[in-house]
Amino acid sequence: MTLSKLALVSLCALAAALPSCSKKSAEPPRGAAVVLALDWVPEPEFGGFYAARELGAFGRQGLDVEIRGGGAGAPVVQLVAAGQVQFGIAGADEVITARARGADVVPIYATFQTSPQGIMAHAARGYKTLGEVLKSGTLAIEPGVAYSAFLKKKYGGFGATLVPYDGGVARFMTDPALAQQCFVTAEPLAAKKKGGDPQVFLVADEGYNPYAAVVIVKKSTLTDHPDWVKGFVTAAREGWTSYLATPAPTNAVMQKLNPSMDAETFASAAAAEKVLTESADTTAHGLGAMTRARWETLGNQLADLSLVLKAPPVDDYFVALP
Amino acid sequence: MRGFRTLAPPLVALALILATWEVLARALQIPAFLLPPPSAVARATLAELGDLALAASVTGRAALYGFLMSACVGTLVAIAMSSSRILERAFYPYTVFLQTVPIVAIAPLLVLWFGAGLRSVMVSSFIVSVFPVITNALSGIRSVEPALRDLFRLYGASRLSTLTKLELPAALPAIVTGLRVAAGLSVIGAIVGEFVAGFSESGAGLGIVILSSYRQMRTDLLFSAVLFAALLGLVLFGAVNLAGHLLLSRWHPSARNP
Repeated sequence: MTLSKLALVSLCALAAALPSCSKKSAEPPRGAAVVLALDWVPEPEFGGFYAARELGAFGRQGLDVEIRGGGAGAPVVQLVAAGQVQFGIAGADEVITARARGADVVPIYATFQTSPQGIMAHAARGYKTLGEVLKSGTLAIEPGVAYSAFLKKKYGGFGATLVPYDGGVARFMTDPALAQQCFVTAEPLAAKKKGGDPQVFLVADEGYNPYAAVVIVKKSTLTDHPDWVKGFVTAAREGWTSYLATPAPTNAVMQKLNPSMDAETFASAAAAEKVLTESADTTAHGLGAMTRARWETLGNQLADLSLVLKAPPVDDYFVALP
Repeated sequence: MRGFRTLAPPLVALALILATWEVLARALQIPAFLLPPPSAVARATLAELGDLALAASVTGRAALYGFLMSACVGTLVAIAMSSSRILERAFYPYTVFLQTVPIVAIAPLLVLWFGAGLRSVMVSSFIVSVFPVITNALSGIRSVEPALRDLFRLYGASRLSTLTKLELPAALPAIVTGLRVAAGLSVIGAIVGEFVAGFSESGAGLGIVILSSYRQMRTDLLFSAVLFAALLGLVLFGAVNLAGHLLLSRWHPSARNP
Protein backbone atom coordinates (compact mmCIF):
# COMPACT_ATOMS: atom_id res chain seq x y z
CA MET A 1 0.00 0.00 0.00
CA THR A 2 2.66 2.48 1.05
CA LEU A 3 4.76 1.31 -1.86
CA SER A 4 2.02 2.04 -4.35
CA LYS A 5 1.39 5.41 -2.75
CA LEU A 6 5.10 6.11 -2.98
CA ALA A 7 5.00 5.15 -6.63
CA LEU A 8 2.12 7.53 -7.23
CA VAL A 9 3.79 10.36 -5.37
CA SER A 10 7.07 9.94 -7.19
CA LEU A 11 5.21 9.70 -10.47
CA CYS A 12 3.42 12.97 -9.78
CA ALA A 13 6.69 14.58 -8.76
CA LEU A 14 8.29 13.37 -11.96
CA ALA A 15 5.40 14.66 -14.05
CA ALA A 16 5.55 18.04 -12.34
CA ALA A 17 9.29 18.36 -12.64
CA LEU A 18 9.51 17.38 -16.27
CA PRO A 19 6.43 18.77 -17.97
CA SER A 20 8.15 19.31 -21.28
CA CYS A 21 10.16 16.15 -21.38
CA SER A 22 7.36 13.75 -20.55
CA LYS A 23 6.08 13.65 -24.11
CA LYS A 24 9.47 12.80 -25.53
CA SER A 25 10.12 10.00 -23.06
CA ALA A 26 9.99 6.59 -24.75
CA GLU A 27 9.15 4.83 -21.48
CA PRO A 28 5.42 4.73 -20.88
CA PRO A 29 4.59 6.08 -17.43
CA ARG A 30 4.26 3.34 -14.82
CA GLY A 31 0.88 3.44 -13.16
CA ALA A 32 -0.14 2.58 -9.62
CA ALA A 33 1.03 -0.96 -8.89
CA VAL A 34 -2.02 -3.02 -8.02
CA VAL A 35 -2.75 -6.74 -7.94
CA LEU A 36 -5.72 -8.58 -9.41
CA ALA A 37 -6.10 -11.93 -7.65
CA LEU A 38 -7.87 -14.63 -9.68
CA ASP A 39 -9.80 -17.45 -8.06
CA TRP A 40 -8.59 -20.00 -10.60
CA VAL A 41 -5.69 -20.65 -12.95
CA PRO A 42 -5.38 -18.47 -16.08
CA GLU A 43 -8.27 -19.58 -18.28
CA PRO A 44 -10.55 -17.95 -20.86
CA GLU A 45 -12.94 -16.88 -18.10
CA PHE A 46 -10.31 -14.22 -17.27
CA GLY A 47 -9.46 -13.51 -20.91
CA GLY A 48 -10.65 -9.92 -20.90
CA PHE A 49 -8.44 -8.99 -17.97
CA TYR A 50 -5.34 -10.45 -19.57
CA ALA A 51 -6.33 -8.68 -22.80
CA ALA A 52 -6.64 -5.39 -20.94
CA ARG A 53 -3.12 -5.89 -19.63
CA GLU A 54 -1.68 -6.96 -22.98
CA LEU A 55 -3.35 -4.09 -24.84
CA GLY A 56 -2.06 -1.58 -22.31
CA ALA A 57 -5.63 -0.63 -21.40
CA PHE A 58 -4.81 -0.78 -17.68
CA GLY A 59 -1.68 1.30 -18.30
CA ARG A 60 -3.68 3.99 -20.07
CA GLN A 61 -5.86 4.22 -16.96
CA GLY A 62 -2.82 4.76 -14.76
CA LEU A 63 -2.84 1.20 -13.42
CA ASP A 64 0.06 -1.22 -13.42
CA VAL A 65 -1.90 -4.42 -12.86
CA GLU A 66 -0.21 -7.64 -11.82
CA ILE A 67 -2.56 -10.59 -12.44
CA ARG A 68 -2.04 -13.35 -9.88
CA GLY A 69 -3.46 -16.79 -10.64
CA GLY A 70 -5.13 -18.86 -7.95
CA GLY A 71 -6.44 -22.39 -7.56
CA ALA A 72 -9.26 -24.27 -5.89
CA GLY A 73 -10.16 -22.46 -2.70
CA ALA A 74 -7.90 -19.46 -3.32
CA PRO A 75 -8.84 -17.05 -0.51
CA VAL A 76 -9.49 -14.13 -2.87
CA VAL A 77 -12.22 -12.44 -0.84
CA GLN A 78 -10.13 -12.64 2.31
CA LEU A 79 -7.08 -11.22 0.53
CA VAL A 80 -9.08 -8.27 -0.80
CA ALA A 81 -10.84 -7.67 2.52
CA ALA A 82 -7.52 -7.75 4.35
CA GLY A 83 -6.06 -5.25 1.89
CA GLN A 84 -3.31 -7.59 0.71
CA VAL A 85 -4.44 -7.27 -2.89
CA GLN A 86 -6.44 -4.40 -4.38
CA PHE A 87 -8.64 -6.27 -6.86
CA GLY A 88 -10.02 -9.79 -6.81
CA ILE A 89 -12.33 -12.09 -8.74
CA ALA A 90 -15.18 -13.85 -6.94
CA GLY A 91 -18.68 -15.15 -7.52
CA ALA A 92 -21.55 -12.83 -6.63
CA ASP A 93 -22.80 -15.25 -3.98
CA GLU A 94 -19.35 -15.28 -2.39
CA VAL A 95 -19.46 -11.49 -2.22
CA ILE A 96 -22.74 -11.54 -0.31
CA THR A 97 -21.64 -14.38 1.98
CA ALA A 98 -18.40 -12.54 2.68
CA ARG A 99 -20.28 -9.35 3.54
CA ALA A 100 -22.54 -11.31 5.88
CA ARG A 101 -19.38 -12.55 7.66
CA GLY A 102 -18.04 -9.03 8.06
CA ALA A 103 -15.67 -8.76 5.09
CA ASP A 104 -16.19 -5.29 3.63
CA VAL A 105 -15.82 -6.05 -0.07
CA VAL A 106 -17.88 -4.53 -2.88
CA PRO A 107 -18.41 -5.57 -6.53
CA ILE A 108 -17.41 -3.20 -9.30
CA TYR A 109 -17.65 -5.25 -12.50
CA ALA A 110 -19.71 -8.35 -13.29
CA THR A 111 -18.03 -10.24 -16.11
CA PHE A 112 -20.57 -13.01 -16.62
CA GLN A 113 -24.18 -11.89 -16.76
CA THR A 114 -25.23 -15.51 -17.05
CA SER A 115 -23.43 -17.75 -14.61
CA PRO A 116 -21.30 -20.32 -16.49
CA GLN A 117 -21.81 -22.69 -13.59
CA GLY A 118 -23.36 -25.95 -14.64
CA ILE A 119 -23.68 -29.63 -13.87
CA MET A 120 -22.41 -31.98 -16.53
CA ALA A 121 -23.57 -35.55 -16.89
CA HIS A 122 -22.89 -38.26 -19.44
CA ALA A 123 -25.17 -37.80 -22.44
CA ALA A 124 -25.48 -41.58 -22.57
CA ARG A 125 -27.59 -41.47 -19.42
CA GLY A 126 -30.22 -39.71 -21.52
CA TYR A 127 -31.33 -37.08 -19.02
CA LYS A 128 -33.85 -34.42 -19.99
CA THR A 129 -33.66 -32.29 -16.86
CA LEU A 130 -31.17 -31.51 -14.12
CA GLY A 131 -33.61 -32.89 -11.60
CA GLU A 132 -33.14 -36.36 -13.10
CA VAL A 133 -29.35 -36.03 -12.95
CA LEU A 134 -29.46 -35.32 -9.23
CA LYS A 135 -31.60 -38.36 -8.49
CA SER A 136 -29.03 -41.11 -8.87
CA GLY A 137 -25.37 -41.96 -9.34
CA THR A 138 -22.57 -39.79 -7.99
CA LEU A 139 -22.37 -36.01 -8.06
CA ALA A 140 -18.97 -34.33 -7.63
CA ILE A 141 -19.49 -30.85 -6.25
CA GLU A 142 -17.47 -28.53 -4.03
CA PRO A 143 -18.79 -28.83 -0.45
CA GLY A 144 -20.42 -25.65 0.77
CA VAL A 145 -21.07 -23.87 -2.55
CA ALA A 146 -24.32 -21.93 -2.57
CA TYR A 147 -25.82 -23.40 -5.74
CA SER A 148 -25.52 -26.87 -4.23
CA ALA A 149 -27.78 -25.73 -1.38
CA PHE A 150 -30.10 -24.15 -3.95
CA LEU A 151 -30.41 -27.36 -5.99
CA LYS A 152 -30.87 -29.41 -2.85
CA LYS A 153 -33.76 -27.23 -1.75
CA LYS A 154 -35.32 -27.02 -5.21
CA TYR A 155 -35.33 -30.78 -5.72
CA GLY A 156 -35.97 -31.79 -2.14
CA GLY A 157 -32.57 -33.34 -1.50
CA PHE A 158 -30.17 -35.34 -3.59
CA GLY A 159 -30.67 -38.97 -4.50
CA ALA A 160 -27.13 -38.99 -5.88
CA THR A 161 -24.14 -39.60 -3.62
CA LEU A 162 -22.24 -36.35 -3.19
CA VAL A 163 -18.45 -36.32 -3.31
CA PRO A 164 -16.05 -33.36 -3.39
CA TYR A 165 -15.20 -31.97 -6.82
CA ASP A 166 -11.48 -32.40 -7.50
CA GLY A 167 -10.98 -29.77 -10.19
CA GLY A 168 -10.59 -32.13 -13.12
CA VAL A 169 -12.47 -34.47 -15.40
CA ALA A 170 -10.51 -37.70 -14.84
CA ARG A 171 -13.17 -39.23 -12.64
CA PHE A 172 -15.88 -38.19 -15.08
CA MET A 173 -14.06 -39.99 -17.87
CA THR A 174 -13.85 -43.28 -15.95
CA ASP A 175 -17.20 -43.31 -14.16
CA PRO A 176 -20.32 -43.39 -16.37
CA ALA A 177 -22.56 -42.76 -13.35
CA LEU A 178 -20.74 -39.59 -12.29
CA ALA A 179 -22.04 -36.09 -12.85
CA GLN A 180 -19.97 -33.11 -11.76
CA GLN A 181 -20.00 -29.37 -11.38
CA CYS A 182 -18.46 -27.48 -14.26
CA PHE A 183 -17.98 -24.13 -15.88
CA VAL A 184 -19.70 -24.50 -19.22
CA THR A 185 -16.59 -22.86 -20.71
CA ALA A 186 -14.11 -25.32 -19.21
CA GLU A 187 -14.73 -28.91 -18.08
CA PRO A 188 -17.20 -29.95 -20.81
CA LEU A 189 -14.69 -28.85 -23.46
CA ALA A 190 -11.91 -30.76 -21.72
CA ALA A 191 -14.12 -33.87 -21.44
CA LYS A 192 -15.14 -33.66 -25.10
CA LYS A 193 -11.50 -33.29 -26.06
CA LYS A 194 -10.73 -36.53 -24.20
CA GLY A 195 -13.53 -38.34 -26.02
CA GLY A 196 -16.25 -37.95 -23.40
CA ASP A 197 -19.93 -37.21 -23.97
CA PRO A 198 -20.72 -34.36 -21.57
CA GLN A 199 -24.21 -32.96 -21.43
CA VAL A 200 -24.43 -29.67 -19.54
CA PHE A 201 -27.27 -28.25 -17.49
CA LEU A 202 -26.81 -24.60 -16.56
CA VAL A 203 -27.64 -23.76 -12.96
CA ALA A 204 -28.78 -20.35 -14.21
CA ASP A 205 -31.64 -22.06 -16.06
CA GLU A 206 -32.82 -23.49 -12.74
CA GLY A 207 -33.51 -20.04 -11.34
CA TYR A 208 -30.20 -19.37 -9.58
CA ASN A 209 -28.06 -16.96 -11.56
CA PRO A 210 -25.43 -15.03 -9.61
CA TYR A 211 -23.02 -12.86 -11.58
CA ALA A 212 -19.75 -14.73 -12.03
CA ALA A 213 -16.15 -13.55 -12.27
CA VAL A 214 -17.12 -10.40 -10.41
CA VAL A 215 -14.31 -7.92 -9.78
CA ILE A 216 -14.27 -6.91 -6.12
CA VAL A 217 -12.45 -4.26 -4.12
CA LYS A 218 -12.34 -3.32 -0.47
CA LYS A 219 -15.11 -0.80 0.15
CA SER A 220 -12.65 1.84 1.29
CA THR A 221 -11.05 1.72 -2.17
CA LEU A 222 -14.20 3.34 -3.59
CA THR A 223 -13.46 6.50 -1.63
CA ASP A 224 -9.66 6.26 -1.33
CA HIS A 225 -8.96 5.51 -4.98
CA PRO A 226 -12.04 6.25 -7.09
CA ASP A 227 -9.69 6.71 -10.06
CA TRP A 228 -8.47 3.10 -9.71
CA VAL A 229 -12.01 1.79 -9.69
CA LYS A 230 -13.13 3.89 -12.65
CA GLY A 231 -9.94 3.12 -14.55
CA PHE A 232 -10.16 -0.60 -13.85
CA VAL A 233 -13.72 -0.84 -15.07
CA THR A 234 -12.96 1.17 -18.22
CA ALA A 235 -9.91 -0.97 -18.99
CA ALA A 236 -11.71 -4.23 -18.22
CA ARG A 237 -14.49 -3.27 -20.59
CA GLU A 238 -11.95 -2.46 -23.29
CA GLY A 239 -10.13 -5.72 -22.63
CA TRP A 240 -13.26 -7.84 -22.74
CA THR A 241 -14.56 -6.14 -25.88
CA SER A 242 -11.29 -6.92 -27.60
CA TYR A 243 -11.04 -10.43 -26.17
CA LEU A 244 -14.53 -11.46 -27.25
CA ALA A 245 -13.83 -10.20 -30.78
CA THR A 246 -10.29 -11.56 -31.20
CA PRO A 247 -9.30 -13.90 -28.37
CA ALA A 248 -6.34 -15.53 -30.11
CA PRO A 249 -3.48 -13.17 -29.09
CA THR A 250 -4.53 -13.17 -25.42
CA ASN A 251 -5.14 -16.91 -25.44
CA ALA A 252 -1.55 -17.38 -26.59
CA VAL A 253 -0.35 -15.38 -23.58
CA MET A 254 -2.57 -17.27 -21.13
CA GLN A 255 -1.67 -20.62 -22.58
CA LYS A 256 1.98 -20.01 -21.71
CA LEU A 257 0.85 -19.56 -18.09
CA ASN A 258 -1.46 -22.57 -18.18
CA PRO A 259 0.00 -25.14 -20.58
CA SER A 260 -2.37 -27.85 -19.30
CA MET A 261 -5.12 -26.40 -21.49
CA ASP A 262 -4.51 -26.69 -25.22
CA ALA A 263 -4.96 -23.93 -27.77
CA GLU A 264 -8.07 -25.46 -29.28
CA THR A 265 -9.85 -25.61 -25.90
CA PHE A 266 -8.82 -22.01 -25.22
CA ALA A 267 -10.37 -20.97 -28.53
CA SER A 268 -13.66 -22.84 -28.10
CA ALA A 269 -14.00 -21.65 -24.49
CA ALA A 270 -13.53 -18.04 -25.56
CA ALA A 271 -16.15 -18.47 -28.26
CA ALA A 272 -18.62 -19.85 -25.71
CA GLU A 273 -18.21 -16.82 -23.48
CA LYS A 274 -19.79 -14.19 -25.69
CA VAL A 275 -23.42 -15.02 -24.87
CA LEU A 276 -22.62 -15.32 -21.17
CA THR A 277 -21.01 -11.88 -20.89
CA GLU A 278 -23.78 -10.05 -22.69
CA SER A 279 -27.25 -9.15 -21.47
CA ALA A 280 -29.87 -6.45 -21.89
CA ASP A 281 -28.07 -4.60 -19.10
CA THR A 282 -24.70 -4.69 -20.86
CA THR A 283 -26.31 -3.49 -24.09
CA ALA A 284 -27.67 -0.51 -22.20
CA HIS A 285 -24.77 0.21 -19.85
CA GLY A 286 -21.72 -1.56 -21.26
CA LEU A 287 -19.98 -4.82 -20.39
CA GLY A 288 -19.74 -5.68 -16.72
CA ALA A 289 -23.00 -3.90 -15.87
CA MET A 290 -24.80 -4.84 -12.67
CA THR A 291 -28.29 -4.03 -11.46
CA ARG A 292 -29.50 -3.43 -7.96
CA ALA A 293 -32.44 -5.78 -8.55
CA ARG A 294 -30.23 -8.76 -9.34
CA TRP A 295 -28.06 -8.24 -6.26
CA GLU A 296 -31.19 -7.94 -4.16
CA THR A 297 -32.64 -11.16 -5.60
CA LEU A 298 -29.43 -13.03 -4.92
CA GLY A 299 -29.23 -11.76 -1.33
CA ASN A 300 -32.78 -12.93 -0.69
CA GLN A 301 -32.08 -16.31 -2.27
CA LEU A 302 -29.06 -16.85 0.00
CA ALA A 303 -31.12 -15.85 3.03
CA ASP A 304 -33.86 -18.28 1.94
CA LEU A 305 -31.27 -21.04 1.80
CA SER A 306 -30.07 -20.06 5.32
CA LEU A 307 -26.56 -19.54 3.96
CA VAL A 308 -26.69 -16.05 5.46
CA LEU A 309 -28.85 -15.05 8.40
CA LYS A 310 -30.37 -12.18 6.45
CA ALA A 311 -29.59 -10.55 3.13
CA PRO A 312 -27.03 -7.75 3.61
CA PRO A 313 -28.53 -4.34 2.69
CA VAL A 314 -27.88 -3.85 -1.05
CA ASP A 315 -27.12 -0.16 -0.74
CA ASP A 316 -24.19 -0.96 1.52
CA TYR A 317 -22.31 -2.53 -1.34
CA PHE A 318 -24.02 -1.93 -4.65
CA VAL A 319 -22.52 0.85 -6.73
CA ALA A 320 -23.68 1.68 -10.23
CA LEU A 321 -20.83 1.36 -12.71
CA PRO A 322 -19.03 4.62 -13.35
CA MET B 1 -2.95 -34.71 44.52
CA ARG B 2 -0.75 -36.27 41.89
CA GLY B 3 -3.62 -36.04 39.38
CA PHE B 4 -3.93 -32.35 40.10
CA ARG B 5 -0.20 -31.81 39.62
CA THR B 6 -0.28 -33.51 36.22
CA LEU B 7 -3.42 -31.82 35.04
CA ALA B 8 -2.94 -28.32 36.37
CA PRO B 9 -0.02 -27.08 34.22
CA PRO B 10 -1.55 -27.90 30.82
CA LEU B 11 -4.94 -26.57 31.89
CA VAL B 12 -3.47 -23.31 33.16
CA ALA B 13 -1.47 -23.00 29.95
CA LEU B 14 -4.63 -23.58 27.91
CA ALA B 15 -6.57 -20.96 29.86
CA LEU B 16 -3.75 -18.47 29.40
CA ILE B 17 -3.49 -19.08 25.67
CA LEU B 18 -7.26 -18.82 25.16
CA ALA B 19 -7.49 -15.65 27.26
CA THR B 20 -4.63 -14.00 25.37
CA TRP B 21 -6.17 -14.99 22.05
CA GLU B 22 -9.60 -13.65 23.05
CA VAL B 23 -8.20 -10.37 24.32
CA LEU B 24 -5.93 -9.86 21.30
CA ALA B 25 -8.69 -10.71 18.82
CA ARG B 26 -10.95 -8.15 20.44
CA ALA B 27 -8.35 -5.47 21.11
CA LEU B 28 -6.88 -5.61 17.59
CA GLN B 29 -10.36 -5.97 16.08
CA ILE B 30 -9.25 -8.88 13.96
CA PRO B 31 -12.17 -9.73 11.65
CA ALA B 32 -13.80 -13.00 12.69
CA PHE B 33 -13.45 -14.43 9.17
CA LEU B 34 -9.66 -14.16 9.48
CA LEU B 35 -9.28 -15.35 13.07
CA PRO B 36 -12.33 -15.88 15.25
CA PRO B 37 -11.93 -15.42 19.01
CA PRO B 38 -12.25 -18.59 21.15
CA SER B 39 -15.68 -17.47 22.33
CA ALA B 40 -16.96 -17.48 18.73
CA VAL B 41 -15.45 -20.93 18.16
CA ALA B 42 -17.14 -22.17 21.34
CA ARG B 43 -20.49 -20.76 20.17
CA ALA B 44 -20.14 -22.39 16.75
CA THR B 45 -19.14 -25.68 18.38
CA LEU B 46 -22.19 -25.69 20.63
CA ALA B 47 -24.54 -24.67 17.82
CA GLU B 48 -23.31 -27.43 15.48
CA LEU B 49 -22.43 -30.00 18.12
CA GLY B 50 -24.58 -32.77 16.65
CA ASP B 51 -23.19 -32.41 13.12
CA LEU B 52 -19.63 -32.09 14.39
CA ALA B 53 -19.93 -35.20 16.53
CA LEU B 54 -21.35 -37.12 13.57
CA ALA B 55 -18.56 -35.87 11.31
CA ALA B 56 -15.98 -36.77 13.94
CA SER B 57 -17.37 -40.29 14.18
CA VAL B 58 -17.10 -40.71 10.39
CA THR B 59 -13.54 -39.41 10.29
CA GLY B 60 -12.66 -41.27 13.48
CA ARG B 61 -13.76 -44.58 12.00
CA ALA B 62 -11.66 -44.06 8.85
CA ALA B 63 -8.67 -42.93 10.93
CA LEU B 64 -9.02 -45.90 13.27
CA TYR B 65 -9.13 -48.37 10.37
CA GLY B 66 -6.19 -46.65 8.72
CA PHE B 67 -4.29 -46.73 11.98
CA LEU B 68 -5.02 -50.41 12.59
CA MET B 69 -3.90 -51.21 9.04
CA SER B 70 -0.71 -49.28 9.67
CA ALA B 71 -0.11 -51.09 12.94
CA CYS B 72 -0.58 -54.54 11.39
CA VAL B 73 1.02 -53.99 8.00
CA GLY B 74 3.79 -51.81 9.42
CA THR B 75 4.81 -54.38 12.03
CA LEU B 76 4.61 -57.28 9.55
CA VAL B 77 6.74 -55.41 7.03
CA ALA B 78 9.27 -54.62 9.76
CA ILE B 79 9.41 -58.28 10.77
CA ALA B 80 9.90 -59.34 7.17
CA MET B 81 12.67 -56.82 6.67
CA SER B 82 14.38 -57.69 9.91
CA SER B 83 14.55 -61.31 8.86
CA SER B 84 16.75 -60.58 5.89
CA ARG B 85 19.30 -57.88 5.16
CA ILE B 86 18.63 -58.32 1.45
CA LEU B 87 14.91 -57.69 1.89
CA GLU B 88 15.62 -54.67 4.01
CA ARG B 89 18.09 -53.26 1.52
CA ALA B 90 15.69 -53.93 -1.33
CA PHE B 91 12.54 -52.47 0.18
CA TYR B 92 13.43 -50.02 2.93
CA PRO B 93 14.12 -47.17 0.50
CA TYR B 94 10.59 -47.56 -0.85
CA THR B 95 9.05 -47.29 2.58
CA VAL B 96 10.77 -43.93 2.85
CA PHE B 97 8.92 -43.11 -0.36
CA LEU B 98 5.67 -43.73 1.54
CA GLN B 99 6.63 -41.08 4.01
CA THR B 100 7.36 -38.50 1.36
CA VAL B 101 4.31 -39.22 -0.80
CA PRO B 102 2.41 -35.96 -1.20
CA ILE B 103 -0.93 -37.41 -0.21
CA VAL B 104 -2.80 -34.43 -1.63
CA ALA B 105 -1.42 -35.29 -5.05
CA ILE B 106 -2.36 -38.95 -5.04
CA ALA B 107 -5.65 -38.71 -3.17
CA PRO B 108 -7.56 -38.08 -6.44
CA LEU B 109 -6.04 -41.30 -7.77
CA LEU B 110 -7.18 -43.20 -4.68
CA VAL B 111 -10.74 -42.24 -5.63
CA LEU B 112 -10.23 -43.63 -9.12
CA TRP B 113 -8.78 -46.85 -7.70
CA PHE B 114 -10.99 -47.47 -4.68
CA GLY B 115 -14.05 -45.29 -5.30
CA ALA B 116 -15.25 -42.49 -3.06
CA GLY B 117 -15.96 -43.10 0.59
CA LEU B 118 -14.55 -45.00 3.53
CA ARG B 119 -12.17 -47.23 1.59
CA SER B 120 -10.24 -44.40 -0.08
CA VAL B 121 -10.18 -42.33 3.09
CA MET B 122 -8.90 -45.31 5.06
CA VAL B 123 -6.14 -45.98 2.53
CA SER B 124 -5.12 -42.33 2.62
CA SER B 125 -4.92 -42.55 6.40
CA PHE B 126 -2.86 -45.74 6.10
CA ILE B 127 -0.36 -44.30 3.60
CA VAL B 128 0.29 -41.30 5.79
CA SER B 129 0.67 -43.24 9.03
CA VAL B 130 2.46 -46.49 8.14
CA PHE B 131 6.04 -45.27 7.82
CA PRO B 132 6.72 -44.44 11.48
CA VAL B 133 5.42 -47.89 12.44
CA ILE B 134 7.76 -49.66 10.02
CA THR B 135 10.84 -47.66 10.87
CA ASN B 136 10.36 -47.82 14.64
CA ALA B 137 9.47 -51.50 14.70
CA LEU B 138 12.44 -52.30 12.48
CA SER B 139 14.89 -50.38 14.61
CA GLY B 140 13.39 -52.00 17.73
CA ILE B 141 13.90 -55.50 16.36
CA ARG B 142 17.38 -54.62 15.14
CA SER B 143 18.36 -53.32 18.58
CA VAL B 144 17.90 -56.61 20.40
CA GLU B 145 21.00 -57.28 22.46
CA PRO B 146 23.40 -59.55 20.55
CA ALA B 147 24.14 -61.53 23.69
CA LEU B 148 20.47 -62.46 24.02
CA ARG B 149 20.34 -63.44 20.37
CA ASP B 150 23.37 -65.66 20.95
CA LEU B 151 21.65 -67.22 23.92
CA PHE B 152 18.57 -68.04 21.85
CA ARG B 153 20.78 -69.49 19.12
CA LEU B 154 22.75 -71.50 21.67
CA TYR B 155 19.56 -73.13 22.92
CA GLY B 156 18.53 -73.85 19.35
CA ALA B 157 15.43 -71.66 19.46
CA SER B 158 13.39 -71.67 16.27
CA ARG B 159 13.02 -68.54 14.15
CA LEU B 160 9.41 -68.21 15.29
CA SER B 161 10.12 -68.47 19.00
CA THR B 162 13.04 -66.06 18.66
CA LEU B 163 10.59 -63.65 17.07
CA THR B 164 7.76 -64.05 19.58
CA LYS B 165 9.79 -64.55 22.74
CA LEU B 166 12.71 -62.23 22.12
CA GLU B 167 12.47 -59.83 19.21
CA LEU B 168 8.88 -58.61 19.49
CA PRO B 169 8.88 -58.13 23.27
CA ALA B 170 12.21 -56.32 23.05
CA ALA B 171 10.94 -54.16 20.19
CA LEU B 172 7.64 -53.37 21.88
CA PRO B 173 8.70 -49.98 23.36
CA ALA B 174 9.91 -48.89 19.92
CA ILE B 175 6.73 -50.18 18.28
CA VAL B 176 4.61 -48.25 20.76
CA THR B 177 6.61 -45.10 19.97
CA GLY B 178 5.93 -45.63 16.27
CA LEU B 179 2.23 -46.16 16.94
CA ARG B 180 2.06 -42.93 18.94
CA VAL B 181 3.34 -40.98 15.94
CA ALA B 182 1.03 -42.94 13.63
CA ALA B 183 -2.02 -42.11 15.79
CA GLY B 184 -1.90 -38.40 15.01
CA LEU B 185 -0.87 -38.94 11.41
CA SER B 186 -3.76 -41.31 10.75
CA VAL B 187 -6.23 -38.52 11.58
CA ILE B 188 -4.40 -36.12 9.27
CA GLY B 189 -4.42 -38.75 6.52
CA ALA B 190 -8.14 -39.35 6.95
CA ILE B 191 -8.98 -35.66 6.74
CA VAL B 192 -6.84 -35.08 3.65
CA GLY B 193 -8.44 -38.19 2.15
CA GLU B 194 -11.88 -36.76 2.82
CA PHE B 195 -10.97 -33.53 1.06
CA VAL B 196 -11.01 -35.51 -2.16
CA ALA B 197 -12.65 -38.84 -1.46
CA GLY B 198 -15.14 -38.31 1.36
CA PHE B 199 -18.89 -38.41 0.98
CA SER B 200 -20.13 -34.88 1.31
CA GLU B 201 -23.87 -35.21 1.88
CA SER B 202 -24.82 -38.10 4.12
CA GLY B 203 -21.91 -39.27 6.24
CA ALA B 204 -19.77 -36.17 5.77
CA GLY B 205 -16.56 -36.28 7.80
CA LEU B 206 -14.57 -33.48 9.39
CA GLY B 207 -12.65 -32.93 6.14
CA ILE B 208 -15.89 -32.03 4.37
CA VAL B 209 -16.99 -29.80 7.24
CA ILE B 210 -13.64 -28.00 6.95
CA LEU B 211 -14.01 -27.50 3.17
CA SER B 212 -17.59 -26.42 3.43
CA SER B 213 -17.10 -23.97 6.28
CA TYR B 214 -14.11 -22.51 4.45
CA ARG B 215 -16.26 -22.04 1.34
CA GLN B 216 -18.92 -20.34 3.45
CA MET B 217 -16.31 -18.24 5.27
CA ARG B 218 -17.50 -19.76 8.55
CA THR B 219 -14.05 -19.60 10.08
CA ASP B 220 -15.50 -20.22 13.55
CA LEU B 221 -16.99 -23.54 12.43
CA LEU B 222 -13.75 -24.38 10.62
CA PHE B 223 -11.89 -24.02 13.92
CA SER B 224 -14.51 -26.19 15.64
CA ALA B 225 -13.87 -28.92 13.08
CA VAL B 226 -10.11 -28.59 13.57
CA LEU B 227 -10.68 -28.86 17.31
CA PHE B 228 -12.61 -32.08 16.84
CA ALA B 229 -9.86 -33.43 14.59
CA ALA B 230 -7.33 -32.66 17.31
CA LEU B 231 -9.54 -34.43 19.84
CA LEU B 232 -9.69 -37.50 17.59
CA GLY B 233 -5.90 -37.51 17.43
CA LEU B 234 -5.71 -37.19 21.19
CA VAL B 235 -8.13 -40.08 21.74
CA LEU B 236 -6.15 -42.38 19.45
CA PHE B 237 -2.89 -41.24 21.02
CA GLY B 238 -4.35 -41.86 24.48
CA ALA B 239 -5.49 -45.34 23.49
CA VAL B 240 -2.00 -46.20 22.23
CA ASN B 241 -0.47 -44.86 25.41
CA LEU B 242 -2.84 -46.88 27.54
CA ALA B 243 -2.20 -50.07 25.58
CA GLY B 244 1.53 -49.42 25.73
CA HIS B 245 1.33 -48.86 29.46
CA LEU B 246 -0.61 -52.08 30.04
CA LEU B 247 1.82 -54.07 27.92
CA LEU B 248 5.03 -52.56 29.20
CA SER B 249 4.49 -51.36 32.75
CA ARG B 250 5.40 -54.69 34.34
CA TRP B 251 8.88 -54.80 32.97
CA HIS B 252 10.04 -51.86 30.91
CA PRO B 253 11.50 -48.70 32.47
CA SER B 254 9.95 -46.43 29.79
CA ALA B 255 6.45 -47.18 31.09
CA ARG B 256 7.20 -47.32 34.82
CA ASN B 257 6.10 -44.41 36.94
CA PRO B 258 8.91 -42.64 38.75
